[in-house]
Amino acid sequence: MRIAHLAALALLAAPAPAARSHAQESPGERLPVVRHVLGNGMSFLLLRRDGAPTVSFVTHFRAGGVDEWTGISGTAHLFEHMLFKGTRTIGTRDYAAEQALFPQIDAVADSFTAEFLKGALTDSTELKRLRGRLKQLEDSARQHVVSNEFWRILTENGAQNLNASTGNDLTNYFFSLPANRAKLWFVLESDRIRNPVLREFYTERDVVMEERRLRVETQPFGLLFEEFLQAAFRAHPYGRPVVGVASEIQAVSRDAAREYYRRYYGVNNAVVAIVGDINVDSVKAWATEYFGDVATGEPHRPVVTREPPQRGERRIEVQFDANPIVMIGYHIPSANHADAPTLAVLSQILTAGRTSRLYQRLVIRDRVATSISSFMPPGALYPRAFAFQGVPIAPHTTQEIEQAVYEELDRIQREPPTDYELERVRNQIDASSYQRLQSNLGLAFQLSSSEALWYDWRRTFRDQATQARVTAADVQRVVRTYFDRTNRTVATLVRPSQAEKAQKGGND
Amino acid sequence: MQARFMLVALLVAAGPTGPVPAPAQQPTDTRRAIESLRFPPLRFNPPLPKRVKLSNGVPVYLLVDKSLPLLQVTFVSKAGVAHLPDSMWSAGWQADNMIRTGGTNQLSPDSVDKLLEFYAVQFQVNTENELSQGFVSGLSRYRDQMLDLAFDLLRNPRNDTSRIRVLAAQQEENWRRRNDQPSSVLQRAWNQVMLDDHPLGRTLVRPEEIQGFAPQRFKWTEERIFCPENLLLGVSGDFDERPLLAKLESLFKGWARCKSGLRQLPPVKFADGPQTVLVEKDLNQTSIRMGHAGGLRVANTPEYFASTVANFLLGGGSGFSSRLLQRVRSDSGFAYSVFSFWEATPKREGQFAAGAQVRAEKTVAALRLIRQIVGSMATEPVTATDVRLARDNRVNSFVFQFENAGQIVSQQLSFAVNGLPPNWFDIYLQGIQKVTPEQVNGVSTRYLHPKRLVTVVVGKPSAFDGPLSEYGPVTMLPVDSIRR
Repeated sequence: MRIAHLAALALLAAPAPAARSHAQESPGERLPVVRHVLGNGMSFLLLRRDGAPTVSFVTHFRAGGVDEWTGISGTAHLFEHMLFKGTRTIGTRDYAAEQALFPQIDAVADSFTAEFLKGALTDSTELKRLRGRLKQLEDSARQHVVSNEFWRILTENGAQNLNASTGNDLTNYFFSLPANRAKLWFVLESDRIRNPVLREFYTERDVVMEERRLRVETQPFGLLFEEFLQAAFRAHPYGRPVVGVASEIQAVSRDAAREYYRRYYGVNNAVVAIVGDINVDSVKAWATEYFGDVATGEPHRPVVTREPPQRGERRIEVQFDANPIVMIGYHIPSANHADAPTLAVLSQILTAGRTSRLYQRLVIRDRVATSISSFMPPGALYPRAFAFQGVPIAPHTTQEIEQAVYEELDRIQREPPTDYELERVRNQIDASSYQRLQSNLGLAFQLSSSEALWYDWRRTFRDQATQARVTAADVQRVVRTYFDRTNRTVATLVRPSQAEKAQKGGND
Repeated sequence: MQARFMLVALLVAAGPTGPVPAPAQQPTDTRRAIESLRFPPLRFNPPLPKRVKLSNGVPVYLLVDKSLPLLQVTFVSKAGVAHLPDSMWSAGWQADNMIRTGGTNQLSPDSVDKLLEFYAVQFQVNTENELSQGFVSGLSRYRDQMLDLAFDLLRNPRNDTSRIRVLAAQQEENWRRRNDQPSSVLQRAWNQVMLDDHPLGRTLVRPEEIQGFAPQRFKWTEERIFCPENLLLGVSGDFDERPLLAKLESLFKGWARCKSGLRQLPPVKFADGPQTVLVEKDLNQTSIRMGHAGGLRVANTPEYFASTVANFLLGGGSGFSSRLLQRVRSDSGFAYSVFSFWEATPKREGQFAAGAQVRAEKTVAALRLIRQIVGSMATEPVTATDVRLARDNRVNSFVFQFENAGQIVSQQLSFAVNGLPPNWFDIYLQGIQKVTPEQVNGVSTRYLHPKRLVTVVVGKPSAFDGPLSEYGPVTMLPVDSIRR
């Protein structure tokens, strides 16, 4: 055992984790995953596993919030909701009758948007009338709809964890089935990818607006995070909220969502991971049978915009009726950069667990904060942020948290990560390299997102193995490289004063 | 390893059987294509944990799974915080935190943190109102380290004063932040209205209780909750039975019997309606919850099974196939989140409630709609198709109850601590399959009372689409007068 003070803990007579040579390869890399790519470019990753007869399906599309064009923020996410609304034959009694009503509904929606966009000049009576009309028309279209049929079919077949989520880089769709029903996935998903029908569109737009309120507008952490990203990323779309800017959610059209689908949902941009009790040959055959003749779509085009170098610290305040929180962020390269594993180790050393440097200092020693964490939002494909989030204990302030973060970053140069700290990180990696393989669904997620991001399912495992080789000098170097004051954005949640509240109230 | 023959037999009978047809041409009508799918029967004998008793009588459930070099030991105590005298509730509620962070007689708090994190061992403990539970897990090659530490923490907690100060500071801050999130305001207001000061309604420790934190108070609760007669253990993952059991025997050696001083859960009396309580908060989205006593216990009775089907179809588990999600979200666009729950335990009735977070300017419309949907369970009876949906979902998804060894062991621990038989899941599955639409209608009529709902609303009344008073008098509950 290298660590003297641990040996002194004695009582438990713990034999040292014999300074193991940490494996050069993560166990995930050795999984017998079969990569099966169709002629149209659609990728399947197939992994048969022993255990209970279940199978998990995770599809990632190379389509996310970053791919939206100006004025349609939130469309990637709204479209994700729409993929649960059915197809030309699922979710409908009479698709032709439904479709015949769409132009009329869209026209009223356009009028509503035009009135809404007048801003201060909006005629609220007219707006209300148009909203009522829109509701009425969508309700009348509903007579042709078998609402939520897609969901119902999966429910009766015992599907679990049925859901989807939209991120900055990618969008995913997932569920698990009893293994004997695996074929159902092929039937349903091949239809939904080919023939989505954007029915009940404007009602769903309202639902998404409530999702925004639930996650952002009524949530101190959600609101601060959104504002932090907007301050840190001025040019790159990482600064734009995936859920959408409120005014754009309320104005997005069915046409925009269709166009988003046309541009980004080509099957060549889809990566499906299927993990569980499967027969790999049958699954391959079904993949070809159900998806082989889907036309290839447009290729994925990475975002061109690069965030220009920051030319000085940015500080913002976000007013909200809650106690203070602070976020401190620095621009760092994408997850593809050679420094990414080192930054992940830095995050571990500073804030992961009770023995991490900042937790020790802020939470345990000084009792300045209830929590301190660090993470790397908001995506992986493009240069992103290394962010700290701290919650002060009154009367301590967010400034004290900031000060501690800056001092601990400086201290890395004077007191590099110790052998104990690095060995702890390596042991954690060692354990998690097995823990992450436990569930079919979790594994399918990792395979599918790694392939979608990097065209390499092993990459996610390899990155972890690379982290285990990070040295103290590496950690010192990345701190010197990225953690400059000029590269920093600080966002603080503050409660408005009584006077400010009164003013705001007066403006409502 | 025992097999669940009964389950298997049942599934073969229930699932559509027959030969799998050869792949057909790509169909154009997906609905028809799905109807024509024939699935092979699911052949699965879920493993059942082995149950043994240690020499001190502690039951241990064992299930080996060597597919990964990981080990998990789960522990459950039959004692919960509500079984402590009222004056000890806050110490008991935070005892989990002190067990994890406060060190042991032999190890300083720092040493514990270092050991756990160095060996990448996860140790978690939760003292809950009606029982307490936790686990230790990690790489199986550190079996002894993780077990030595976990037992030392549970048996010999030091409750170091330096860590009590940390805990106190954090709890004071949590108290300060109690109104920052709408969900916290709603939950606390709801608990106060429904349960007054009953321990089941408490989630926060009050400032004067934090002042009273002291090592001996934590100790008093810890040695009554975590002591041999109260404990059940579960072991899953990569281990060998014999040495593991020998290790457990040695770890229990000399652990004193449970001390006296616990009480029965105080009688639970839920508030009755109709009544509406408004908590004013400046928000553009209103949080709503409405409900009343649930009236039923978990039991092998047609009524209990029918109640789970009713809740499934109303808003508790079928997702978009439920009436609440269909009508409040999909049809009306009032909310992103809308749900119901109908709680019960084998020992007592729980609450029935429905809730949502809705657009402020549709608050009254949403209240009206949700009440109407709750009432519709009796007035617009569910159909045979609806009941079949619930049944098929439960039967077809049964395998997900047995996906891994840890889950299977936890299930058995949960049955045991709740006084349910080891084959409770089989009984449940059979019970669900016998439920009829008439029974669902019956329990809905008997136990759901749309005219007696207690309603709690958190939001900004000036933004509402009308007064809340249409369902009778509204009581204002200022946000600062929520006691916990």
